[in-house]
Amino acid sequence: MQRAPVTYRRLQWFGICALIALLVYLPLISDARELRNHTKIIITVLAVLGVNIATGYGGMISLGHAVFVGVGAFGTAYFVDDMGLPWVISLVGGAVSAAIFGLLIAVPALRIRGIHLALVTLAFAIVFQPLAKRFPKFSGGISGKSVEAELVAPGIFGEGRLADARWQYVFCIAVCVVAILLVRNVIDSRAGRAMRALRDNQTSAAVYGVNLVRTRIATFALSAGLAGLAGGLQVVLVPFVSQENYPPQASLVLYATAVIGGLGSLWGSVFGVAIRQVFGEVGDVLKRIDDIPVLSELFDLLDSDSFVFGVGLIALMFLVPGGLASIRLGRGDRVGRLAAWVRRRYRAA
Amino acid sequence: MDWVLLLQRIFDALFNSAIYSSLALALVIVFRSTGMLNFAQGEMATFGGFVGFVLLSGPTQRLKGGGVAGWLPGVPWPVWLAIIGAVVFGMLAGATVERTLIRPFERAPEMALVNVTIGLLIATNALMTQWWGSGARAFPSVFPVGADDHVGILGARLRYSTIGVWAVLIILMVLLLLMMQKTKIGLAFRAISINRSAAELQGVPVGRTLMYGWALAGGMGALAAGLSANSTLLHSNMMLRVLVFAFAAATLADWTVPRVQLWAGSSSVCRKPWCRPTYLSSVSN
Repeated sequence: MQRAPVTYRRLQWFGICALIALLVYLPLISDARELRNHTKIIITVLAVLGVNIATGYGGMISLGHAVFVGVGAFGTAYFVDDMGLPWVISLVGGAVSAAIFGLLIAVPALRIRGIHLALVTLAFAIVFQPLAKRFPKFSGGISGKSVEAELVAPGIFGEGRLADARWQYVFCIAVCVVAILLVRNVIDSRAGRAMRALRDNQTSAAVYGVNLVRTRIATFALSAGLAGLAGGLQVVLVPFVSQENYPPQASLVLYATAVIGGLGSLWGSVFGVAIRQVFGEVGDVLKRIDDIPVLSELFDLLDSDSFVFGVGLIALMFLVPGGLASIRLGRGDRVGRLAAWVRRRYRAA
Repeated sequence: MDWVLLLQRIFDALFNSAIYSSLALALVIVFRSTGMLNFAQGEMATFGGFVGFVLLSGPTQRLKGGGVAGWLPGVPWPVWLAIIGAVVFGMLAGATVERTLIRPFERAPEMALVNVTIGLLIATNALMTQWWGSGARAFPSVFPVGADDHVGILGARLRYSTIGVWAVLIILMVLLLLMMQKTKIGLAFRAISINRSAAELQGVPVGRTLMYGWALAGGMGALAAGLSANSTLLHSNMMLRVLVFAFAAATLADWTVPRVQLWAGSSSVCRKPWCRPTYLSSVSN
């Protein structure tokens, strides 16, 4: 993996420390419901990372990753509830079923590329809801189904709702960290290099002995599996599954998050989810302003974070085409130049 | 086998196929000139439909976008005029989008354009949900849609609205072909779609022609939304599914030949999800 320059790496360490501090601080200040919402946001990183693997590392645009999140959730719910398996095995089972689903969708990806593949995945995203209704055994049909099994906190966490929420928080973060580390290793490995070679130049990758079919399918399966894991963790948090939660727009927002964060970078997925929260908070604050005639109408729009995200995606293409993670302080692009200018002024003062 | 039922299903589906065809046409116009798929085409069309809705219901408190409609004389307008207004709006919107959002990425990689159109899709969809709510709204029809407004053919009913939609579509096709064959803009358009850089070197105004293409596509989409909103009801997600059918129709025919889109649209008749199972169950009986 490409290493950041030394000055930048210091910043990276600072970022990691801040992130860890935030993660430790969060469960201490929030009540059970808030903590559950925080956890929900954190597991979105996995789904976004799934999109990132397919699109950023594999070069296959996927507009249908909410489908895999949904399959993962349905799978996990089925394993843990109907088959009575323990949570960890069910989660793995859910992720594997999403990966298998991904395999099926990857088959067209072998032949078509670019926008046409994007179209096929979008079609899957649109078809998923009506399709899920036809399998009430897994999806609970139109109204969804609740899951009886619960992830109860072990003794050291104490008892009650807050203890459960804290344990789920720790559990989900642990799963996320393990998954992200695994993905990091895969990307640095032989398979990961094959993946990226395929994205950059298919012909030369084939010349160097990369098995195109296998690599492309494996990439898509891995990305679908990650999204499925995110779906499984959703079941841990909210013991209820329904196709209602996976409309086509959810897939598009996942894609937008991955692009905004930065494709082809692990941190990009974290950035993307973080910035989505920042947008949401800023929108909440601005929405309360009601006394400015035209502007407050505009601020009301900020309430729906999809709108902000759509506009953000377009704006980003103008400003930083590579996504937030591609910003290198003091380098060529516009934001970098701005940062360098700020730093010069700071030094002069 | 129940032939009357089969014929009836085909007649029913003909209506939707006309809608798919017009959206497919819009997609193909953009694809031929710019070589890109406009993922936001469906949402732009739905937005046009909502503009038509505002025009025909006038400025009321219920409609957030209704305030602007009050500036126009004589609002509420009759349905046909409201749809024409929506088409004009769609054309302006298409041209604006091309100028402001697409042109800057002329030389950027394909991915940037995909991202921009998807951003536009997400933003427009959220905007419509925010302004007009996520519920469905009734939209009057231009054509008579009463219980008796149909022609009986071999025992099956061909509705006037279906005939009307196809008439509009065929007139549109003829106009489009005439424009492509006989006018200077059409010539420029054909030149660009065959070889863009050669056309540019010959002095064809590429930018302006592309803008006209987008305007045409935008207007066509708004028309599709205005004509279909009576049967599907007007809601913010109505075109997302149609978009995929239109993509399928355009792919099934040929992305490069607009004339064929009409047939592609009609061949998607048998893809109607509800058409096949019902018909098959009547076969097995």
